[in-house]
Amino acid sequence: MDAANEMSSFGNEIAMDDYNDEPSYLGPSTRCVLFTLENEVYGIQVKKIREVLRVGAIRKVAGATYGVLGVINVRGVIVTVVDSRSMFNMPLREVDDLSRIIIVELDEERTVGILVDFVKEVKDIPDDKIEPLSASKENASRYIQGVAHFQDNVIILIDVDNLFIGVE
Amino acid sequence: MDEEILQDFLVEAADLVDQLNEQLADLENDPTDSDLLNAVFRGFHTIKGGAGFLAITPLIEVCHRAENVFDKIRNGDVDYDADAAEVILRAFDVISDILEQLNDGEREFSENDPELLAKLDALTGKKPPPIDEPTADASPAIEPTLQLPEGVDPDGEMSDDEFEALLNQRDSVQSVSEPALVLPEGVDPDGDMSDEEFDALLNQRDSIEKNSAPALSLPEGVDPDGDMSDEEFEALLNQRDAKTKAPDVQKTAEVPSPVVPPQSASKPAAKKTKSATENKAKPAKSSTESTVRVDTKRLDEIMNLVGELVLVRNRLLTLKGKNSNREDIANAVANLDHVTTDLQASVLKTRMQPVKKVFGRFPRVVRDLARKLGKDINLELQGEETDLDKNLVEALADPLVHLVRNSVDHGVEMPDIRAAAGKPKTGTVVLAAQQEGDHILLSITDDGKGMDPDVLRQKAVEKGMMDEQMASQLDDKSAFELILSAGFSTADQVSDISGRGVGMDVVKNMITKLNGSIDIHSVLGEGTKISIRVPLTLAILPTLMVGFDEDSYAIPLTSVQEIFDFNPEKTNKIDGQMMVRLRDESIPLYFLNEWLATDKPKDNYRGDKVVIVSVGNQRAGLVVNQVNGQEEVVIKPLGVMLKKALGYAGATITGNGSIALILDLQGVVKRFQ
Repeated sequence: MDAANEMSSFGNEIAMDDYNDEPSYLGPSTRCVLFTLENEVYGIQVKKIREVLRVGAIRKVAGATYGVLGVINVRGVIVTVVDSRSMFNMPLREVDDLSRIIIVELDEERTVGILVDFVKEVKDIPDDKIEPLSASKENASRYIQGVAHFQDNVIILIDVDNLFIGVE
Repeated sequence: MDEEILQDFLVEAADLVDQLNEQLADLENDPTDSDLLNAVFRGFHTIKGGAGFLAITPLIEVCHRAENVFDKIRNGDVDYDADAAEVILRAFDVISDILEQLNDGEREFSENDPELLAKLDALTGKKPPPIDEPTADASPAIEPTLQLPEGVDPDGEMSDDEFEALLNQRDSVQSVSEPALVLPEGVDPDGDMSDEEFDALLNQRDSIEKNSAPALSLPEGVDPDGDMSDEEFEALLNQRDAKTKAPDVQKTAEVPSPVVPPQSASKPAAKKTKSATENKAKPAKSSTESTVRVDTKRLDEIMNLVGELVLVRNRLLTLKGKNSNREDIANAVANLDHVTTDLQASVLKTRMQPVKKVFGRFPRVVRDLARKLGKDINLELQGEETDLDKNLVEALADPLVHLVRNSVDHGVEMPDIRAAAGKPKTGTVVLAAQQEGDHILLSITDDGKGMDPDVLRQKAVEKGMMDEQMASQLDDKSAFELILSAGFSTADQVSDISGRGVGMDVVKNMITKLNGSIDIHSVLGEGTKISIRVPLTLAILPTLMVGFDEDSYAIPLTSVQEIFDFNPEKTNKIDGQMMVRLRDESIPLYFLNEWLATDKPKDNYRGDKVVIVSVGNQRAGLVVNQVNGQEEVVIKPLGVMLKKALGYAGATITGNGSIALILDLQGVVKRFQ
């Protein structure tokens, strides 16, 4: 999967050459899509993401679990949309022009859309900048893969697999 | 074990097993048909070949013996009589079981039942060789895999040595886990035995019990024909012990056969055992990919249509660019319409399989059951070539087995009763399939004793399902349908075959799930006919679209019985549940907006519609805002976090591009109860 291609669906508010101008770091790095929620920056590995969509009509599903906004049609596939704010126990907020749905591929069969406030950019984060959370952390933060301090940002890396673990 | 090869083997073996199943049933009607016998022989042989490649020892053992039996039968040495059939069918079951286990990811197998192997051997006239008299009987002619040593003229005379070598070869080839013990060469089987020789034999037996027979290799520089020093012998013994595997003692200490070095004969066996132990270390759990065989012609057809589709797209793209007139666009769209319709039909066809795949197992089911019950039953299969969606073929198998067993068990009477009733002693069960428009009609008909509606009514009262008056008002058809309710069984005696009353409601539910319906027709004393109607495919569902403002929902059309305007004067509240009166019947009403559109006012249902649906064997009225008409929809599963949401069977994309949710009526009713 080529990340650069995927980003073409982002829209123009993202400076595409932003990450090309990054000083190149030696050593392994992880390419992440960064988005914001309540002024915090979060990151999801690009390899888990299929595309980023503008928010269109979301079909509500009555009786669904809290946090599930409904379903959308992604080229013939019905994809569940989850509000990231509900997952991180934040107050919900109305969808606006900057809201995006990040389509995440959990595995071959399971795809899910995550509604976020704003998609910032794509960045290569050097692996040595990522501090893994200590394993003893309680259950609530099991979906946090680690925290990266990088270029004046504190980026919370999300492990989407863990986020949807045990979810049918 | 190579997973890829294994998967290929499983696909092939599944086909072979299906064929064998059919052929074995046919064979019973015509046990001398040589084409059939050859086909069966080949079937077992091919499975054995694959199993040998993958070193699935128990499978090889059974296939090999079954193959031997059929070799004898086709040569006319043995008859395929009822006893033989019994044993062969058992062997066949073992083979199917092993294949099924392989499919489930099982990679280790227990030993075969020695009794079955012995029985198979007995069929070929071969007795299991006793320990102290190893190679006396058994004709080498049944060994298809034996090879003459090079340089020996097959038609010429054979020296004793050569014959001996062949015998040895046979013994080592013959069985992988139960090799016959071999007397050291040079020992007269009828003569006395020295202590040493006896010891050697004992060792040989002990190590064979460990179920492996690798070849020990002679240390380099040792002449296999020459004498052996004590040291060398010791080394060989150590070698054997280290491997804790069985040596063929003849290969080591005793003078090996001059013609064929025994190692060469048993080497394959040794390799197999080795790979078998290897894969024990890493049992791989794998899921079989499910595959469909598609005629290449059909694929060409699809390819051609896809080509057309691309052309239409190009046309539309050019039209998009310039200011084109409406006619051009209309033409292109009409073309697109055609191509998609054809493409849809062609792709659907690739999923179609002849219903024969399900029917194939029935001769066996009926035969076994009839035998067990002491009945005489002839099964007729009709319309085997009818094509059905692959998923449906698989989903229908279980319900059909159940219904056929019921017919055999409850329907057809014992021969003497039949004779007394003036019917032919042999009962007939007909299993038929035919296409009816966009449906498939399957029917199971027997000429048995039929059902007595009065007995059914009485049973219903006894079981407390209804009072006597209600029961007496049931017409015959509704009385027959009682057997579809849970816990309803009229059999006085519960057998392991049927009569526990857990079956028919399960059948009914499964058929309903497939959007099908069941119809029962029975005449007392003449027989019963059960008809099942299922849609041709599961992928496309005819639905009734209903809605609340913009939100639309699809109700499977097969369940919809009637639609009428909601009229508050015709409803009443009974025990907290709103009911609607419809021709002397009260049907519970469920107001869907309480669940689906909670923001709507709850008291004004003026202008709403009531859709009467059948759910299981009851009816319910769903109150909806609008009824938008019929639409054929493609079912798409709901994704993550919604799979378990009660009341939905999936979603679909409607003509205007929006998403409609498909209702699962059983879930809907559950939601409201």
